Amino acid sequence: MISLAARSVGGAGRRLRGSDMSVASFQWTTCRFGKRAGWLAIGLATIMLLAVIAAPNQAFAHAALVTADPADGMVLGQSPTQFSLTFSEPVSPLVLTLVRPDGTPLPLTAFRLNDQTVEIDNPRTLGPGTHVLSWRVISADGHPVGGSVLFSIGAPSAAPIVSEAVDWGLRSAIWTGRVLLYIGLFLGVGGAFAIAWLAKGGRSGQRFAIAAMLCGLVAAPLSLGFQGLDALGAPLTHLSQPVVWQTGLGTSFGWTVLIALIALGLGLFSLVGPRADARLFALAGLASVGAALAASGHASAAEPQWLTRPMVFLHGVGIAFWAGALAPLGLAVRRQPAEAGLFLHRFSQAILPVVAVLAATGIALAVIQVQAPAALLGTAYGRLLLVKLALLFFLFTLAATNRWKLTAPAEAGETEVQRRLVRSIGVEMLIVLAIFGVAAGWRFTPPPRALAIAAAQPASIHIHTPKAMADLSITPGHAGPVSASIVVMTGDFGPLDARQVTLVLSKPDSGIEPIKRPATKPGDGTWRVDDLVIPVAGRWTARLDILVSDFEMVKIEAQIDIRAE
Amino acid sequence: MNKYLLSGCALALGTGTAFAHITLETQEAAVGSTYKAILRVPHGCEGKATTAVRVQIPEGVISVKPMPKPGWTLQVKKGKYEKSYQLYGEAVTSGVREVDWSGGSLPDEFYDEFVFRGTLAADLPAGQTLYFPVVQECDGAADRWIEIPAAGQDEDALEYPAPGIKLLPKK
Repeated sequence: MISLAARSVGGAGRRLRGSDMSVASFQWTTCRFGKRAGWLAIGLATIMLLAVIAAPNQAFAHAALVTADPADGMVLGQSPTQFSLTFSEPVSPLVLTLVRPDGTPLPLTAFRLNDQTVEIDNPRTLGPGTHVLSWRVISADGHPVGGSVLFSIGAPSAAPIVSEAVDWGLRSAIWTGRVLLYIGLFLGVGGAFAIAWLAKGGRSGQRFAIAAMLCGLVAAPLSLGFQGLDALGAPLTHLSQPVVWQTGLGTSFGWTVLIALIALGLGLFSLVGPRADARLFALAGLASVGAALAASGHASAAEPQWLTRPMVFLHGVGIAFWAGALAPLGLAVRRQPAEAGLFLHRFSQAILPVVAVLAATGIALAVIQVQAPAALLGTAYGRLLLVKLALLFFLFTLAATNRWKLTAPAEAGETEVQRRLVRSIGVEMLIVLAIFGVAAGWRFTPPPRALAIAAAQPASIHIHTPKAMADLSITPGHAGPVSASIVVMTGDFGPLDARQVTLVLSKPDSGIEPIKRPATKPGDGTWRVDDLVIPVAGRWTARLDILVSDFEMVKIEAQIDIRAE
Repeated sequence: MNKYLLSGCALALGTGTAFAHITLETQEAAVGSTYKAILRVPHGCEGKATTAVRVQIPEGVISVKPMPKPGWTLQVKKGKYEKSYQLYGEAVTSGVREVDWSGGSLPDEFYDEFVFRGTLAADLPAGQTLYFPVVQECDGAADRWIEIPAAGQDEDALEYPAPGIKLLPKK
């Protein structure tokens, strides 16, 4: 009883001394190397600024195709001279290919960007049959999006086969690159931070952290190349082509790699550079880890940006703090149990608020990304999150045991407990690596949030006849409750003051009677049909009955594709 | 032979649909003759009583005179024809373009007829169908019998076909 009290008093005393000394040494460092610190601060500020500048450009979700000309499924009388694709946001095309009816691809290289529309020149006169216009573009969040539009010349033929096979070799490379980059950032830079700030002069784990950071220094640029390959849809053998690297650098992941390289450099310098500056470099490195993660990725691209980017930043910093400290701590306890007590003490003091921030930001980001609980099981993204949560559960159990059961006796120097603690930290490391593996898997799964945005895109058609024309869009463009918006014009683009507009949706092959709804005029020049339910997905015939005058009605119709929910 | 068969079929279908649609009793007339149009109104709109019947007079039907109907207010709208027509040696350039019977009440379960007469101009194209678009108004609703089949379209495919007559060659 007495010894316990004495120990806790001693602990408090040590804590006081420790913090006094750290403040003093910080001040000393600042005065002595004020100039260097100033440069460092500028460097740090630049990183933050870059991240912020990059931010507005990435404030979008995955791009979605809104309209295509020729429209999907259209039958044309003759070969078009150009194609156009309009997206929900500005995009840059990566690969545009026309697959002809015999399956031979024709690369389309001449295109112009016009706001959100990509206008593509058709280099050849196309023969009869069904063609596939295959597109691959990159959206502002740095992820490539692809799709295809089928159209026919003369009459439809059997659609040519377009292979959209997954390149598993490239996927494995991307995944491995990500995991190694995480190791470099979290274990390497995080380790450097733990050594500089928590280890109290001990250098245990220094070699491990340096190795991890070198690993990251190799993985970061390679990941950039892999990203370029993925964006272009090119195989691994094209890695040496400059365009691949330019493409990779042009994506938002380019920022992540650049900032990650800065973070790795800062971390390395804090270990091998002058000891006096170690703490500042390590701190800047830790902040750069957060900035690197916040610069790209699904979570950073989510709305609201002012919330998600700082949360990704904090989450990244928290992971680096926690995961980074594990190896130096474990090695210190194993090799120099005598000196490791203070390290262990500082870590256990700091870890609670860090874990609180990690959990809070993680939960908030998960809620933003997953949206509906059903998506946890229903999407690949959600299932990965469940796996990560399961791993986290084990990790937290271990960490809590370490913190509340083992830390105090280990600090007091009980060797058996210290051995247990080392083993436990080793297992924690393995779980952390597994979590990195799961998190790297998210690279390939769009979050439910982005899927929902894509699903909410309207289905739109343009109907053009000599008597009248109309733009009809059904929002969202999938089966279920929808609303329709209609703009009518005369056949020569003049205003058409219709007395009444009726929307008739029919799907003769489904055995469903035509759905007929009068449209209302909300006063903004459009006609609307609300409270409409489209029961099944597929190709519907949309007819508009436009009452031009008391005794004259114009009926126009076209096909519209309704997606499955 | 085929032609007769076809018109026979058309007639059979015509009588079949006559119960549902507003139609003209006399379904053919020679160009250059006087035509007595009897509009047959078999029911109201969606079960509601008919309160007005309005007919648009097509181009080429001149000198129109509607028959008054007890309980209904009769109005005509006059306007210019697209061209000048010869009637008994005189040039006619304007006349009735729309006939309205309104203010009455014809319950859904009753049947009634609305009558007018006019002259079919001699230069109307014989062999074609001439349509008289009709708007049937009820209390808060309206059925517009104004659909005219496009070239090659089957008249039976229309939901609200305009009543029409087949123009026969001049006698």
